[in-house]
Amino acid sequence: MAGSQLKRLKASLKDQGIIGPQKSKKQKRQNAQDAKASTDKRLQRHEALASIREQFNPFQFKTNARGPKFEVTTNKPQNDKLAKGIQGRPGLAKATAEQRRRETLLVEMQRRNKVGGIVDRRFGEDDPNMTLEDKMMERFAREQMKSHKKNTVFDLEGSDDEQEQVTLTHAGKTLFLDDIEAGRDDFDEDVEDMESDDERSARKKFLKRLRAEEEAAEGEGEDGQPERKKTKKEVMEEVIAKSKAFKYERQAAKEEDDDLRVELDKELGEVQSLLFQMKPKETKEPKGPAVMSGIDLETLEKEYNMRLKQAAREARAEVTDRTKTDEEKAEEGVKRLKEMEEKRLRRMRGEIVSDDEEEEEQKKGKKKGDDQEAQDEADEDEFGLGKGIKLRMTATEMGLDDEDDFLLEDDLIASGSELDMDEDDMSDIDGSDDEDAYDPDEDELVNGGEDGESKEVATKLQAQSKGGDEDGIPYTFTCPESHEQLLEILGSLPVTKLPVAVQRIRALYHPKLDAKNKERLGNFAQALIEHIAYLGEKFEPSLFPTIENLIRHVHSLAKTFPIEVSKAYRSRLEEIKEERPLALTVGDLMLLTAIGTTYPTSDHFHQVVTPAMLSITRYLGQKIPQTLADYSIGAYLSILALQYQSFSKRYVPEFINFCLNTLYSLASEKPKEKLGLFPVHEPAAGIRVKGASKVTVRKLNCGDCQQPKSARSASEESALKVAIISTITSVLRTASETWCKLPAFYETFQPAQRVLQHLTTKSNAAQLPAALVKQLKDTTTSISRLLQLAQVSRRPLELHHHKPLAIKTYVPKFEDSFDPNKHYDPDRERAELAKLRAEHKKERKGALRELRKDAAFMQRENLKVKKAKDEAYEKKYTRLVAEIQGSEGQAANEYAREKAARLKKKKNAR
Amino acid sequence: MPSTVKDKAAKSVVKRKRSENGEPIKKRRKSEAGEEKEDLASQIQNLESQINESKKHYNNIAALIEYAEKQNEDPKTAIAAAEALCRVFVRLLASGSLVKRKDASEKDATVAKWLRDRLTDHHKALVAMFKSTKLATQALVLAMALLKAEAQYLEGKDEAVFHWPLFNAIISALLTSPVEEVRDEFCDKFIDEYDDIRFYTFEGIKDFLTERESVDEELQNTVFDFLLKMEDVPESSEDLEDFYIEQPSKKKHPLRSLSQHKKRAQEAWLALMHLGLSKEQRKKVLDVMASSIAPWFIKPELLMDFLTDCYNTGGSISLLALSGVFYLIQERNLDYPSFYQKLYSLLDTDILHSKYRSRFFRLLDTFLGSSHLPAVLVASFIKRLARLALNAPPSAIVVIVPWFYNLFKKHPLTTFMMHRVPRTKEEKELIEKEGVLDPFLPDEEDPMETHAIDSSLWEIVQLQSHYHPNVATIAKIISEQFTKQSYNLEDFLDHSYGSLIDAEMSKEVKKAPVIEFMIPKHIFTKADPGTEQTDSPLVSLWDFGSS
Repeated sequence: MAGSQLKRLKASLKDQGIIGPQKSKKQKRQNAQDAKASTDKRLQRHEALASIREQFNPFQFKTNARGPKFEVTTNKPQNDKLAKGIQGRPGLAKATAEQRRRETLLVEMQRRNKVGGIVDRRFGEDDPNMTLEDKMMERFAREQMKSHKKNTVFDLEGSDDEQEQVTLTHAGKTLFLDDIEAGRDDFDEDVEDMESDDERSARKKFLKRLRAEEEAAEGEGEDGQPERKKTKKEVMEEVIAKSKAFKYERQAAKEEDDDLRVELDKELGEVQSLLFQMKPKETKEPKGPAVMSGIDLETLEKEYNMRLKQAAREARAEVTDRTKTDEEKAEEGVKRLKEMEEKRLRRMRGEIVSDDEEEEEQKKGKKKGDDQEAQDEADEDEFGLGKGIKLRMTATEMGLDDEDDFLLEDDLIASGSELDMDEDDMSDIDGSDDEDAYDPDEDELVNGGEDGESKEVATKLQAQSKGGDEDGIPYTFTCPESHEQLLEILGSLPVTKLPVAVQRIRALYHPKLDAKNKERLGNFAQALIEHIAYLGEKFEPSLFPTIENLIRHVHSLAKTFPIEVSKAYRSRLEEIKEERPLALTVGDLMLLTAIGTTYPTSDHFHQVVTPAMLSITRYLGQKIPQTLADYSIGAYLSILALQYQSFSKRYVPEFINFCLNTLYSLASEKPKEKLGLFPVHEPAAGIRVKGASKVTVRKLNCGDCQQPKSARSASEESALKVAIISTITSVLRTASETWCKLPAFYETFQPAQRVLQHLTTKSNAAQLPAALVKQLKDTTTSISRLLQLAQVSRRPLELHHHKPLAIKTYVPKFEDSFDPNKHYDPDRERAELAKLRAEHKKERKGALRELRKDAAFMQRENLKVKKAKDEAYEKKYTRLVAEIQGSEGQAANEYAREKAARLKKKKNAR
Repeated sequence: MPSTVKDKAAKSVVKRKRSENGEPIKKRRKSEAGEEKEDLASQIQNLESQINESKKHYNNIAALIEYAEKQNEDPKTAIAAAEALCRVFVRLLASGSLVKRKDASEKDATVAKWLRDRLTDHHKALVAMFKSTKLATQALVLAMALLKAEAQYLEGKDEAVFHWPLFNAIISALLTSPVEEVRDEFCDKFIDEYDDIRFYTFEGIKDFLTERESVDEELQNTVFDFLLKMEDVPESSEDLEDFYIEQPSKKKHPLRSLSQHKKRAQEAWLALMHLGLSKEQRKKVLDVMASSIAPWFIKPELLMDFLTDCYNTGGSISLLALSGVFYLIQERNLDYPSFYQKLYSLLDTDILHSKYRSRFFRLLDTFLGSSHLPAVLVASFIKRLARLALNAPPSAIVVIVPWFYNLFKKHPLTTFMMHRVPRTKEEKELIEKEGVLDPFLPDEEDPMETHAIDSSLWEIVQLQSHYHPNVATIAKIISEQFTKQSYNLEDFLDHSYGSLIDAEMSKEVKKAPVIEFMIPKHIFTKADPGTEQTDSPLVSLWDFGSS
């Protein structure tokens, strides 16, 4: 577009159709007629003018000098601004900034160094749009608002009074009309919360509506019926009347309610009787309402409150578990056993079962928490026993919970050993004790109801004063808490009666009976363990049933006091380790046996079993046997080691070493060649068997584990040797059966085969009894068979069918929208700090710029003020000067005139 | 004069000694014939002072020597006389009356000669005292003081000249003396303190041993112990600065050269070894070889024969000789044919039970540390040890398995022992039908011929079900993925039953241990014949019914 600015302006105006060729009168009229079109046009025109203005002021916009940087396609509407890449409007921004400064900074400047002043809070004073009427309305509205806030819809009387007091009046008449206030009732709650602007508009709307109604009414009056136009006053009165009617209605309703309530109060007595289902007699008593409302009523009320509280406190009835049928219980028992077995297997594999256990414990705890009975019932039912007599304290409550598992087992009451004797004794005694009280039940107690009777033991024991039963076993003992005490207290008893005493102590000091009993019984368990070892030391064949029983007692105590019992065992093992690792006593053997039965030896790791096993293998592996007693102890430990591993079938190298070395040492001739890779200790003199062909084969016993006080005779010695060989052979056979699935079974037992073969060679066999030779041969063949099987079933190892491990890869990190201006700092904190710093810098720059602008503005304003002042001064000055000059001139003129007049006079006079 | 100061010091030592012993002696003196004794003591003092006064009384020396020789009858007087004599001789030596001078008159010469003869007599008397328990230490101090004086003054030269006859007498008396304390004293006071004394001692011992025709075992032991006590090998020639007699002025004097010192020590040791040691002594020698003996040797090659002989003996002696042999092979280029075969033969039944186990494993680790060894050989070692592990204590298994792991990592060919998949169909069928016979030849002596590499490690897999949980876990590493670079063997060496139990015991019981849920009905007693329960092995094999 060429040409001068003016030409271009003209052209663009023409383009927009703002200016054009002159229109004819007709056209003008047409245009004027459709008003709507004209307003549209006006708007259009306005817009067009604005755009033209923009176009022609190149400094109005901040743009990219060369237009937008890139050609982009977007789905945003492409208007001029974007197309040109307008980035800002400096002129506009400057103007607004100036405006804002004028509003804030200038005001501050002007108010500087000035104190006080009047704030104009009149409404609408600055608003030129408001008419006087509007202003009045507004005032009224505010007034109403203020008074209204305190009132509620249902405040009937109060509001009226207040209203009357506070209403504005003018010349004795109310300023505003009541009906408005009444009419507002319905909606002003909504209005109340609005902000002032909304409030105002809402009010305006309301007023408008009122006015519209009035107009409508007027219109109606004009158009249709000849009804005269109501004055404002009339309308208001109408409204007021309406509202009063409403008010009355509400009051009436309230009164009605009150009446009803009074009526109900009167009938309260009856209602109460209905509630508590009292006999109506009392209420029907001819006392009259006076009594009802008198003291009686008070007591009634008290009672009512009391009962109400009772009812609130009463526990809610709970749903009880269904009683289980016998089959279900049996099933449960089987399930529990299965679970236990599974857990054992898991432990054997060395898996962690802790969480399961915890769950289990939780469950158990819950069960116990509920009532121990449930579990105990299950226990009882494992053995198919009835419930016993329920009225008395149950055994479980008395502390025989798992004890009675075996107390009641058949084998303990079976014939034979002395132990059952005293068990029988017990039942006899109990029976006889019962006779006095339960004569008719006697049969039942003796025959079928042992459980009941055994449970009674506890109660009776407590009831019984100090004294003994028929065997002289007292019923009460002080609880021994150390081995010394135990010996002191129970030392006088015959050893075989010990279990009875122990049982009585356990019943007497059940943890439930006293808080201290728990500790006492824990110590008692430890003392018992000591005692087992003690009894083991002085072993006699008759003691073993007792020891066995004691071990079982310890076992059942261990269930309640696992930590104490295991600590006692461990301290014993520690003692063995420190004092006699290679010289175990019979007592130690007993303890090791006890450990083997008390704890699950199949576990991968166990706090007690693992050290015990190590103690056993230490002896087997490191002891160089010198005497036959050493060999016997070794044989016992070998059996024990095998028994420990009978379930988990773990391999014990020391076992093989010891067995083979023993056989090697006892063989009557030394083999010519090496028999295997087991370490060989040359036997001491006189160990090898010589001339024992006539000896009968016997089993080993604990007496063989000790050095005899007097030397054994030759025949005894050879019998012992034969016994050792025979035992070791049997153990080897058992071991071969236990371990036949091991992968290196062949290598492990081939030396055993060779040693056994060596023993059965002619020269050796001649020295041994025929029965033993037969046993040796049998074992050899059995082992050879197993060896063959092992060889056939052996496969090459394929241990590493693992998934190949992936090489660890580190994928480089790509930034999708990389911006070189951005900082990709991997250090988060540092990045954040940099960001903050940049922001601070930017803000600071902005603030500085603002301050500079402020300063400029202030300067400008000051200058303006100064200029105005100067101007005023100048004006005043010039005015004064002019004034003076004027008066001077006047005076000069006057003087000149005077002078002229005088001259004239003079002249005239002359 | 420094020498006199030392002299006095020596005397004061003597005095102190005497005062220590004084109490009981005084008592005895009082109780017994106190009078007479006192007389003797004063007489000796008299004699001594007379000698000091003039030459006329030189004959008193003979009298004193007589007293000194009577140690058995009267030890108290003997030592007093010996002391007096010592003082006299030191004084005489210092004054130069014993020096042979060419210009001396005939009379003087005879006096000097006579005095020298008396000096020798005195030596004999002193050395004889070494045999007595009471006098030995004092006599030693006196003899050494005399030795010093003689070295300084006897020849009348500026430079001290070591007096061999006396020293040899001292050494032989020390070694043959039944009194152990004298030797300790000698070591503490003289050998450890003074470099020259040590130097001369080595030479003295060598002479002593070579001159003797037959040396009995007891003497050998004494010499051995004596030599062992001389442990501190000086680092360099500069360290040699403590001299008992006098620092030789010449730089090149043998006393001031380390190599000369070492040479003497080496000769002494060799002299001892040439005597032919018993088995126990050999063990002892081998045990301290690295720490005390080898450092003295300039030419360790001289030990070659000894070590190879020991190594060939077999048993624990071979084990002990191993490190020495290895040192020679590595450093001195010793050519030991079929070293690995010999090493392989050391892997016998007892090796895993021996107390030298950890020592052996440390060495074995270095021997098989090279990745250039043939895999066949390594496989033989692995298989052999695996076999042995079947009868080994847990503490040994714990070492073996991680060591195997390291070897597998180093020699990937040997991993076929853990993982062997039959390749052909026929092979598979054969295995299905007949199982596998272990191709390993346990009796083959040459590790290259054992076919171990064709075998599998069933033994270690069996140990994965070892009764000890930790051992079982360690054994499992060979069937897991080999992700670890290597195991540090030092973590697994030096375990024993005791330490394993300790490890278990040191853990406090916090969590309640699991209890067997069924209380067994029978532990020692037999089950009823009617019930289905079977007896435990204990009940069926052991007789609890009788004693």
